[in-house]
Parts: sequence; structure tokens; C-alpha cells
Amino acid sequence: MLGLFGTLNLAARSLQTQMTGVEVTGQNLANVNTTGYSRQRVQIATSPDMATSIGPEGTGANAVDIQQIVSNLLNNQIQSQGSTSGYWNAQQTALQSAQNGLNEFLNGSGATASTSTTSSTTTDTGLSGQLTSLFNAFSSLAAAPSMSTQQAVVGAAQQVATSFNQISTQLGNVKTSLNASLTANVNSANTLLTDIASLNQQITVAQFSGGNANDLTDQREQDLENLSQLTSITTSTGTNGAVNVNIGGNQFVSGNSVSDTLQTYDPGNGSLLVQTSVGSVPVTLTGGSMQGTIDARDGTLATMQSHIDSLAANLIGAVDAIHNGGYNSAGGTGTNFFIGSSAATISVNAALVNNPALIQISSSATATGDSSLALQMSQLATTTQTGLNNQTFGDYYGTTVAGLGGALASANTQVTDQTAVTNMLQTQRGSISGVNTDEEMTNLMSFQRAYEASAQLVTTINTLMGDTLAMKTS
Amino acid sequence: MRVATNAYTNAMLNQFNVLVSRQNNLQSQVSTGLRIQTPADDPTAMQNTLSYLANQSTQAQYSANIGTLQTRATSVDSVLQSLQTISSRAGEIATSAGGATTSQSDLTNYADEINSLINQVVNAANTKDPSTGKYLFGGTASGAAPFTTTTDASGNVTAVTYNGNSTVNQAQIGAGMTASADVPGANTGSTGARGLITDSQSGADFLNHLITLRNDLNAGNATAVTNTDSANLQKDENNIAYQVANNGVLQNKLTAAAAFVTSNSQNLSQMISNTSSADLMNTMVQLSQTQTSYQAALQSGSKIMSLSLLNYLPA
Repeated sequence: MLGLFGTLNLAARSLQTQMTGVEVTGQNLANVNTTGYSRQRVQIATSPDMATSIGPEGTGANAVDIQQIVSNLLNNQIQSQGSTSGYWNAQQTALQSAQNGLNEFLNGSGATASTSTTSSTTTDTGLSGQLTSLFNAFSSLAAAPSMSTQQAVVGAAQQVATSFNQISTQLGNVKTSLNASLTANVNSANTLLTDIASLNQQITVAQFSGGNANDLTDQREQDLENLSQLTSITTSTGTNGAVNVNIGGNQFVSGNSVSDTLQTYDPGNGSLLVQTSVGSVPVTLTGGSMQGTIDARDGTLATMQSHIDSLAANLIGAVDAIHNGGYNSAGGTGTNFFIGSSAATISVNAALVNNPALIQISSSATATGDSSLALQMSQLATTTQTGLNNQTFGDYYGTTVAGLGGALASANTQVTDQTAVTNMLQTQRGSISGVNTDEEMTNLMSFQRAYEASAQLVTTINTLMGDTLAMKTS
Repeated sequence: MRVATNAYTNAMLNQFNVLVSRQNNLQSQVSTGLRIQTPADDPTAMQNTLSYLANQSTQAQYSANIGTLQTRATSVDSVLQSLQTISSRAGEIATSAGGATTSQSDLTNYADEINSLINQVVNAANTKDPSTGKYLFGGTASGAAPFTTTTDASGNVTAVTYNGNSTVNQAQIGAGMTASADVPGANTGSTGARGLITDSQSGADFLNHLITLRNDLNAGNATAVTNTDSANLQKDENNIAYQVANNGVLQNKLTAAAAFVTSNSQNLSQMISNTSSADLMNTMVQLSQTQTSYQAALQSGSKIMSLSLLNYLPA
């Protein structure tokens, strides 16, 4: 039998228990918009009962635990999908920059009224049209050799050379900024590794002293997810609750300490890669924005740069091979039309820029009015080049543009798909771990009512105690 | 399924992003009239469009070249007209001078007229192309005047030198098709374009034949005028007639090539339109669908967001 005081104790415990419920509800409500927060539940259990002559008698209830409601399965899935998202997002960003650098877009000046209307207004902004203009200028020069057509050829050639230079510079800039973003990613990853190790430390201490480290676990989960965005990681949880982090087969967080960090290094070609700080072991990354950046830079971007370079080199070679053997109107011969050897270095021979009349388009020193070489140079437009996989200049460039477009289109699709997957997983996790205000308000009311009832119990016991004392005085 | 409160807002934001980006894309298609603008929009179509555009620009260049050749052919034609007049006048003189009753003073008068004709022929043969300022009949050695003359004390032409060559410049007027409106002043070889004044294939040698005629007239050698000079001048007349006909053939060829270029350009425009242009009707329908979805999302979203148990709890 509990007696009056025992029951009063029971009521007081009940008040505390329900109050804990209100507190936890408050914590949930306060964190309704906190990223990565997992809702918590107070675990209420009946207190140990007391044996009496008429059987066991209850002694009320206790709040025994504050539990986090999480799904480790979903957390792991979100981590691994995070790596894939990070990978494709990085690719998308890199390839978009490359596409801008290439500056090959279509312009249209208004909607066509119907599909049968021709869109003669469509133009392109990039190298494709300029290459055609150059060959056309040679064609004009062949048809009517004169000062104005000579100037037009030099002008068109300068435009082509400038575009090549610009594309090369832009692609170089993209590469530089991708290196910078890789370095920034490595720094972020190192910060996250330090955070995770320090959270491990706090979590093991909290759990050692018998507590639950719910909020710290949430923070650590958030850090792991952020790290997954940067690179694919594998984790293992120790018996003390600490999470060990492994990247590409190398241990980076062991228990409470960071055992190694990442750093970038230049393998010699200016394209930064990632290695461990301890022992400088190259790290094989398998996902995340770091690998996405590296793959875009060393894959599509490098291919594009090399294609643009061979396009420029072949153009220089083909035009000069004809021009060099020709004669200008004064009988001069042996000078090059284009100078340089790549997209970055191509330029029109300065002598021709200063005096377009020095263009060598005659096939003979005596026939100075001959323009047959200009015709040959204009016909380069439709001549396949062995150095360009037996494609013409225009087709080769078109293939390069389409290659970039295909890579970016595929990255765009992947990003869209990945966003859908991530959203779905987040919603699923939200349905388990997320806070619902209506639910919390309902819980709040239920704790409030229970608290009111327990308070009523105290009032009743108080009245009974008063009655008991009154028995003596009366 | 249990739904977390902020799942609403997250889902709504995602949907809004998708719908706004779709609207933006469709709006840009409508305003530019283009279905593809960047390589990533449709890599294959982009590649094809670039190729069509380049081809279209090449067709425009063919068209310009055809225009250049047509202008030049017209210039050549007007020279040929005047040479024909001169040639027939020289023929008339040769016929008249060959008559038995012609006195020496008449022959000398004819010789003076031939002198004037010789100068007219030299001037005509040294005509420049008005567009390029180059000599029309010098072949590809068009730096100096094609015909230079040697004159005697009284200023009469005694000999003519041709400074040009017998090759001509070709211009591209279609895929794999070139043409030339140039006529070399002289061609003493057995191949290539026939010469305007001197041509070994037809036996024409207009200026020298005129000089011989004049000399024969001055010498009173009516027999030579009748027997040799008339026949020679006939060869020259035939050669000029050949050049006139050839010029006509060229002009027809250019007209045909121009028509071909125009039709090619139209086809290419159609192909560019088919690959890169937005189907306006379709795009507008999609745009209006997307706008409806967006409105629906906004309305339903704002209704759901405003619902909460809190609205029904006593204060």
C-alpha cells in the first residue's frame, strides 16, 4: 500500500514525467525546420510495482529514455546517393562552364508563325560560322582578286584566330577554376573530418556516462552526408559509438581522432589530384563532387581542348601548305598565312595583317593575277583531313560541339534523376524522422491533460491529508 | 504515410523549381523561335544545324561568286559586241578594197580607217574589270596591260605584243563546280580557253591580220587583200562569234547555277527550321499547361500550408 505520501510521490513523479514529455515536444517543435534533425520521443515506463497482500500495486510511471527516431538504412542510402548527386552536380557545373567557353549557341530573332515558315534568322555565335566565313572569303578572293577581297580574307582569318585563342583561354580558365574548386572541396572535407572526429569524442563521452547523444548524432550524420557529397565514403561504427571514416581504402577518422587528411597534388600536368597527407598516397576517389570535378576536367574538357587544338593545328597546316608555295602579286613566296601550332597560339601572319596584298594565291611567280590557290584554300572547307579522323574542319568541330553537348545533356539528366531520388529519400526519411507540428501539438495536449490530471491528484491527496489532520484537531 | 511538416515546404519548393525552370525554357523557345539554343539542348540536332548553317553560308557565297562572274561576263560581252562591229567593218573594207575599180587613194583612205580600227581593238582588248580594276583579257598575268604596241614614225601600229598568258581564274559556283568568265587575250597553245584576239586553234590573229591588211592596202596589193586578208579576217570574225556564243553559254550556266543555289538555300532553311525551330503551337500549348500546373501548385500549396491544428486549438 502506497499510502498518502507514497501516492503524493507518485503524483509528483507523474508531473515530472509529463513535464518531460512537454519538454521533448517543445524540442521537436523548436527543431521543425532544423536540417538533419530527427524527432525525439520520450519513453515512459511504469515504475516497479510493489507487492501487497492483494497483489502487485503500481507505483506510477517514469520517463526512462529520450529516443531518437531514425532509420539507419535511409541514412546510409542518403549518404551514398549524396555521392552520386555531388558527382553529377560537379560535372554539370564544369560542363556548363565549358559550354559557355565554347560560345557555340544558336540565335533566333523571334518565333516563326508556323512550322512551314523558314527560319532564315537562325544564326550561330561561334567558331563554326567563322570557319565558314573564312573559306567563303577565300572563295570571294578566288572569284575576284582585289584589295577588298584580300582584306576580307585577312579579317575573316583574324576572327577565326581570335576565336580559337578565346576558346583556348576560356577552357584554360575553366580548368583553373575546376582545380580551385577541387582544392576548396579538399579543404571542406578536411574540416568535416575534424568535426566528425570531435563529435565522435563528445558522443563517446556522453554515452560512456550513460546518456544519449541524440543531437550530436544528428550533427554527425549531417557532417557525414555533407562529406558524402564531396566524395564517396565508407563508415563503420565502433562499439563505443564512434564512426570511423574511410575514403578510397584509406582510414581518415579513427575513433576520436583524425588519422589522416586529404591534400591536392600536381602530378605534373597542372591537373590537380588528391592524395593523403600521411605518406602522400594517391587516393582513388569514387564519387562525389571531387571525382565529378576531376572526371569532367580530365575527360570531356580535356578532350575538347585537344580537339580544338588539333582543329587549329590542322587548319594552320592545311592553309599554310597551300599558301607557303604560292606567290603574291609582287612575285614573293615562302611565307606562312597562319602562325602558331595550337588554338592558343594561332594568329594571322603579322606581315599579311599589315599588308593583305602579300597574300600568296598565285601558283606561278609570273602569273601574278592567278587566284587558283585561293580557290584551293576555299575548297579546304569540303576537304577531309586525315589529322581530323577524315572529317572536314566543319564536321570535326560539329562533332566536338556535339560531344560536349552530349556530355552536358547526360549530366543534366543525371542531375534531374538524382534530385528526384534524393527528394524521395528525404521525404521517406522525413516520414520517419521528421517533425510534424500537428502530431506534436496533439502530443502536447495529451501531456498537458495528463499533467493536469496528476496535478489534480496532488490536490486530492492534499485534501485527504487535510482531512486526516482535521481528524486529530476536531 | 506520415508526413513531416517541412516535407510540404520542401516538396513545394522542388515543384516550383521544376515548373519555373520548365516555364523559363518554354518561354525562351517561344521568344527566340528556337527549340535548341545550346549544344546540350539536343547535341545531334545542334551538330546538324551547324552543318546546315555552314552549308547555307557556302550557298550564299556561291551566289555572290555567281554575281561576280555575271558582272564580269556582261563586261566581256560588251567588249565582244564592239569587237564584232570592228570585225565586220574590217571585213567590209577587205571586200570593197578587193574590187578592181578601187583607186590607190581609196585604198589609202581604207588603210587609215584600219589604223583607227587597230587602235580600237587594242583599247577594247585592254579593258579592265570595273569591279577589280584588273585587265579582263590578260589571263592570270594581269599586272600589266595585256597588249602593247610598237608604232612607226607616223604613229601607226606596226607590231603588237601580248603580255598576258593563256590561263584563267576559276571561281566556285556550286559544290564541285567552278566557272570562269575570263577570256585570255591570246592562246597560242592547243588546249585551254580560246584566245580573244589570237588563237591558234581557230587561226585567229585579229590585230596582226589587221596590220597586214593595212600594209597590203597601203601597198596597193589588192590581190593579197582578196586572196589572203579576207579569209584571215573571216577566221577572226568566226573566233569572235565563238566567244560571243561561249559567253552566252556561260551566262546560261550561271543562271542555272544561281537557280540551283537558291533552291538549295531554301531546302537548307527548311532543314534548319525542322531541326532547330520550335513548333510554336506545340510550345504554346505546353507553356499554358505548365502555367496551369504552376497556378495549381501555388493554390494547393498555399491552402495546405495555411492549414494547421493550431488554427483549431483554443487560445
